[in-house]
Amino acid sequence: MTTTPYEQTFPRPRRSLVPAWALQWATWLVVVTLIVGPFIPLIYASLRDRPLYEPGGVLTTQPYRDLFGDGAFWHAWANTLVFAALTTLIAVIGGALVAILCTRTDLAGRRAFGRLILLPILLPSLGMVLGWIVVWGPGGYLTSMFSDRLHLPTLAIDTIPGMALVEASRLLPIAFLTCQAALSRADSSLEDAARSAGARPLRVLFNITIPMLRPALLNAGTLIFTLSIAALGIPLLLGTSNNIIFVSSYLYNTWTNASTPDPGSVSAGAVMMLAVATLLLLLRNRLLGAEARFVSVGGKSGRQALLRLRRWRWPLAGLLTFYLVFTTLVPVLGLAAMSFVVVLTPLVAPWELLTSAHWHVLWEDDAFRRSIQNSAVIAVVGAVATTAFVALATLVAHRSGFRFRRTLPFLMLYPRATPGIIIGIGFFWAYLLTGAFGDSMRDSIWGIMLAFCVRNLPLAYIVMYPTLARIGEELDRAGRAAGAGWWRTSRTIVLPLLKPAIFASFILLFVEIINDYDPAVFLVKPGTEVMGATMLSQFIQGTVGPVSALAMVQVVITVVVLAIGAKVFKIGVTGGERGA
Amino acid sequence: MPEIRVQNLVKQFGEQRALDDVSFAVEEGEFFTLLGPSGCGKSTTLMSIAGFQQPEAGLIAVGDETFFDASRKVAVPAELRNLGIVFQSYAVWPHMTVFDNLAFPLKVRKLKRAAIRSRVLEVLELVEMTPYETRYPHQLSGGQQQRVALARALVYSPSVLLLDEPFSNLDAKLRERARAWVKELQHRLGLTTIFVTHDQDEALSMSDRVAVMSAGEVQQIGTPEDVYRRPANRFVAEFVGRVNLIEGIAARIGGGGSVEVEVAGSPLRLTVSTGHGASGHVTVAVRPEAVTLMPFDDTSVNGINTWDAEVGTVAFLGDHYEYEVNAGHVPLTVQSSRLVPGDRIKVHIPPGACAVVE
Repeated sequence: MTTTPYEQTFPRPRRSLVPAWALQWATWLVVVTLIVGPFIPLIYASLRDRPLYEPGGVLTTQPYRDLFGDGAFWHAWANTLVFAALTTLIAVIGGALVAILCTRTDLAGRRAFGRLILLPILLPSLGMVLGWIVVWGPGGYLTSMFSDRLHLPTLAIDTIPGMALVEASRLLPIAFLTCQAALSRADSSLEDAARSAGARPLRVLFNITIPMLRPALLNAGTLIFTLSIAALGIPLLLGTSNNIIFVSSYLYNTWTNASTPDPGSVSAGAVMMLAVATLLLLLRNRLLGAEARFVSVGGKSGRQALLRLRRWRWPLAGLLTFYLVFTTLVPVLGLAAMSFVVVLTPLVAPWELLTSAHWHVLWEDDAFRRSIQNSAVIAVVGAVATTAFVALATLVAHRSGFRFRRTLPFLMLYPRATPGIIIGIGFFWAYLLTGAFGDSMRDSIWGIMLAFCVRNLPLAYIVMYPTLARIGEELDRAGRAAGAGWWRTSRTIVLPLLKPAIFASFILLFVEIINDYDPAVFLVKPGTEVMGATMLSQFIQGTVGPVSALAMVQVVITVVVLAIGAKVFKIGVTGGERGA
Repeated sequence: MPEIRVQNLVKQFGEQRALDDVSFAVEEGEFFTLLGPSGCGKSTTLMSIAGFQQPEAGLIAVGDETFFDASRKVAVPAELRNLGIVFQSYAVWPHMTVFDNLAFPLKVRKLKRAAIRSRVLEVLELVEMTPYETRYPHQLSGGQQQRVALARALVYSPSVLLLDEPFSNLDAKLRERARAWVKELQHRLGLTTIFVTHDQDEALSMSDRVAVMSAGEVQQIGTPEDVYRRPANRFVAEFVGRVNLIEGIAARIGGGGSVEVEVAGSPLRLTVSTGHGASGHVTVAVRPEAVTLMPFDDTSVNGINTWDAEVGTVAFLGDHYEYEVNAGHVPLTVQSSRLVPGDRIKVHIPPGACAVVE
């Protein structure tokens, strides 16, 4: 008789050399340092009577009193809030309408629209603002064509409603994604039940479908409101000439024009903005909690009866096409045209003014050339590093027994609510206070990279968390039971299964980092320029042609990388924003 | 060696007490089942043994190794407990082949390549999955995945096997075959096993002993016959199989521990042979198949516990008939292998088939 296989014994598994808790603590400490760290010197700077780099100084509330005593500051807040409210209104209503059209009706080309509508949020935001200015701004190509030649009224994008329209066209995809996710998750039998009860399709839409969207609308609205308060490019480039100042441009102007550099009142204003953004984030967290009661259980999507638009099927598709052409294609074409002509004017045919001089500037001018090189390095290294680190932190947050794991999701989403300009000021002070380390960061591109990485880190978490949540926890428990420690289980079982999300996160971060600019405006120095910051400063100085060429570089890189990402890794943009 | 001791486990989830002083011991080679409805704490108990959850108080030991002892702050990490576990979802790693799934625990134990290979093949043969060595999990059926999961849990000869509802994802036919197969394997290998299920058939047919749990507490521990025939309380009687509950007052103690119960709201009397000196208000449990039905004019069984009854409904269920009858305001469900004619019949409840549960 052979022995039963069970009589064989094996060595017991051993403890791993680096204990899991050490790794988890290290990860948590890095997250806290990077996300909370920069705000501590910021708050400190706002409470001192002189800049941090000057010796001496006492704690005082003087910066706040200076700031609050300035009528222009309150005026800037009023402008900002009107702008943010209008932006939110337009983006949420528009996004919800497009989401309903694309998921619940038989609109012609609904799938294609569902993808194209996402472009504005992925394209470089500053570049798109420049595109709008070139085409629709005061003296822009189409503006002069319509008003000067045809004497027709045109869109005044240098007014608050106009700026809101520009910003809304960028942020509309957020509302679209949120509503689309809510609609495709909702159980269509709720709608079927209303149909059976005798309601006509349109009535079902208004009485069932749209009310169910309410939490999604609130959630998207809060995020869009928060993001539009933080807008910097729009008020700086469109508002300043018309003397419309927002909080962000107020802080920017005060900082750059101040007689004593880096005044405390800017830090005080930044702290106030941070407080508003934090309150909005907390509000949004509560809204997300309340949303659970609208989640219908057991929804089977994909077999919903679509609302038939009949004769509106094509006209509505036409309207949507017009919207996309107007808000996305025309600004991009404007940029492209601008980068190839001496002046863009309806008075002279563009081909008579053709030039490649603007493009030559990109490699002949040191600042432009370095910007491209630096941005490319920062985007590649930053996207890799952030993705790797966030993957680890997400595992600690959701797949470990680490004591403070529950603080990580909030921490990792926090920079999403923080205006980029404030992250920039925070890192500026943090580098100033950290001696040799801070100096080396300020003198190299890595300082800017770190600020960009922290700013965009929430996106990596938003992409990875839903995928991780779908990987059953029993899979890693099985690894632990088999004798592998936390890190080995994470490395050999969880991370390989997370691969698609890791690639998606890399692509998204690369695109976001290469197009980012506002955290860098206070950090750049000669030698550490990045594309966005260069575009902003050069455009303000009136260099339009080469800036358009640089913006086109961003647009082309963005589109190519996204296309590769979509093709190679089959990345579909889903309702990822929801997790935020 | 592997005698499992679980003592006084307490686990709190927020306000709710998930485990409330749970204790039991499992003998070497025993097939021990934790049975109960969802939320009763059976999975929490199993996960505490495996090391995936940490109770607030209590002790868990296997053989002479203490895995968890709240009073001495001992908590061995899950990966060092050397237990085999099969999860409800099987948790076969989808990005590894069957071979790699089985090889992983051996790699962790730093075995040589050749040793890994021969051991994996040996265990694959044991679970009859040799031809599927190079397949990926998505290419396997549910039953095959379950075998892989079991093989992976056995490949490193763990001291104890833990099964967390492993059959609930299989269809009815396959489930029965899988049960018999797992039971046979467990018996052949002499594996000490703790099995968690909410399915009483599974618990009764496979176990050496069963612990019935409810609301975080162990209600009864005993052999399948014990918990079925002599339920310790009303919950066990109702959860393990179907039951008629008859309420009344214990009136008179008879000989040999028997008790006569005055049935509430009726003039009937019920004699219970093992009343254990019950007194006052009692509830008596009687299984539907223990009750016998006779034609109204049948006089072969007489006297005690034989009542006249009116037939309510009769349902044909293939291998038996199910009667809903009414014996003097006492509703009874009766399972009968034969059809008894007439609207009025006689029912007989054997005193030995009655258990006082309250």
